[in-house]
Amino acid sequence: MKQFFNNQNLDQMRQFGTFFGLIALCLLFTILSPYFLTTSNLLNVAQQSSIIAVISVGMTFVIITAGIDLSVGSVLAFSGVVMASVLHAGLPIPIGILVGLGVGFSCGLLNGLLVSYGKIPPFIATLGMMSIARGAGLWFTDGRPISGFDDSFRYLASGEIFYIPVPVIIMIIVYVIAHLILTKTKMGRYTYAIGGNEKAAVLSGINIKFYLNIIYGIAGLLSALGAVMLTARLNSAQPIAGIMYELDAIAATVIGGTSLFGGKGTVIGTLIGALIIGVLRNGLNLLGVSSFIQQIVIGSVIIGAILLDTNLKMRKN
Amino acid sequence: MNHIITQKITAILLITLLVFTSFSCYKEEFPGRPTVALVVKTLNNPFFNDMQAGAEDMARELEINLIVQAAEREVDVEQQVQIVENLIQRRVDAIMLTPSGSREVVPVISNANRNNIPIINLDTKVDAELLASDNAFIATFIGSDNFEGGYMAGKFVGEQLNGIGEVAILEGIPGHETADSRQQGFLSGISEYPGIEIVTSQTANWERNLGYNVFENILQSYNNVQAVFAASDLMALGAIEAISASGRGPNDILVVGFDAHSEAVDAIRRGVMHATVAQNPYEIGRAGVEYAYKVLNGEEIPKNINVEIKLITQENVDE
Repeated sequence: MKQFFNNQNLDQMRQFGTFFGLIALCLLFTILSPYFLTTSNLLNVAQQSSIIAVISVGMTFVIITAGIDLSVGSVLAFSGVVMASVLHAGLPIPIGILVGLGVGFSCGLLNGLLVSYGKIPPFIATLGMMSIARGAGLWFTDGRPISGFDDSFRYLASGEIFYIPVPVIIMIIVYVIAHLILTKTKMGRYTYAIGGNEKAAVLSGINIKFYLNIIYGIAGLLSALGAVMLTARLNSAQPIAGIMYELDAIAATVIGGTSLFGGKGTVIGTLIGALIIGVLRNGLNLLGVSSFIQQIVIGSVIIGAILLDTNLKMRKN
Repeated sequence: MNHIITQKITAILLITLLVFTSFSCYKEEFPGRPTVALVVKTLNNPFFNDMQAGAEDMARELEINLIVQAAEREVDVEQQVQIVENLIQRRVDAIMLTPSGSREVVPVISNANRNNIPIINLDTKVDAELLASDNAFIATFIGSDNFEGGYMAGKFVGEQLNGIGEVAILEGIPGHETADSRQQGFLSGISEYPGIEIVTSQTANWERNLGYNVFENILQSYNNVQAVFAASDLMALGAIEAISASGRGPNDILVVGFDAHSEAVDAIRRGVMHATVAQNPYEIGRAGVEYAYKVLNGEEIPKNINVEIKLITQENVDE
């Protein structure tokens, strides 16, 4: 056993830890509420977590490069209302979705350009974008939501394939692709390299500007995908949607073991992180605990996860 | 290494246990009796706290269980939808809902319909058109008529100005049912005084500091404004500060708000504000539980229940 739990396995251990945390939480709620452990409730939690989970994938990529993206919530709102207006103009659904994804990708790409060529710290660049995209969405709609879509579009939220809700399927597909990119491709290795040691990455000939643009672009694209899912779910695109989603996405990423200093992290961990937040909210609702207490609990879990990270680092050294 | 896992699990368990022990005061007070839920827009607003108090009092009288929930942020309709979904999973017997978005809650209402959980709509109306197109329905709407409240405010301004003068409006968030009805009501009330001109109508997003900023700008551009109607008291309170910052006082500009916020009532008592429209959130909460209970007992109830609304002015503020 001692051989297996050597230092190289520490990161995997961290992930197991998070996973067991999730299981322990589920057990706890199963004991406390008879309504928690039912197929319909578990699917309900998965569906509720899916939007934050999808956005968090982009956040994970960005944070692995030692960056941050504060604009995901605003980009979600902006791409959502643009897509909605295209749909309301009577254009086919795939066109509307593509336009929405295009807006999201462009906002993200702009973030990337500001960070890579503009040399602006990611915190500041995306803080600016957060305000710009929010303002753009409000301006575009005059502050009003755009509501009412075809059933075929709403299928993206209300549909089921073999009893699995479509948003959950979208989430799984996004995670499989992201996991493969991070672990099996050149781009994945470069993502870690940029965050691990940017200078070394440059010296070893990695075109980090290019990859940073792509990575921030992906974060914007996934925010827009979140917008598609949210708009279909609420049958409405709101310019004030997604306020503070960036914080939920950062929380999911960090609980999942991605280091804010960059260079390490996994999307599987992030998925578990997003599910932990989803399970906490759901379980506390089932028990009738107030939303004020929910905030305290979620904050404590974030701090707990980081404390664990710090402990792990100390042991490594 | 095992102790890292243990540590993690213990951490989460400890935190959660801590919360549950501190909340073990939450119990099913009346075992075997119905459980109804009240989902409001936010719990850090005195209006909804009063509504909660009314609901709690009535639940105690009828000996039924009550769960009160709200999203962390008032505008976060997605989280409010999640709360309703979770309450459906929790199989509560009825849900009272003040929607954070009148249109966005329609899909979750049809979800409740499928699960035979009656929805009692409180305070802010759910969009009737979208309800119809989704074949969804609510058991009843209980609230005060925002349009009527706006109308009363409009008449008051018209009377006070003797039917002549320039008036400004501070709007709520555009597209909110409440904001639109209050404004339409005001316009309808004031239209009975053709000598009065609405010189500008701008949004201050329900916010106090925006009320200040926007009204400050209005005072700069429209020097002769004699009255302002703010669709909420918070914006009215902001406007009052802008008025005094501009060197003018309560005798120069008539300020009328909406909500009967405690600070606004106090401002009326001190003579710096002139009127506010009082809804009765306590009564809305009480009626919500009362009618939820009637629905559960299979009684027929009206589709629309109006809770009295009145104008608080300097004359009747001490009543």
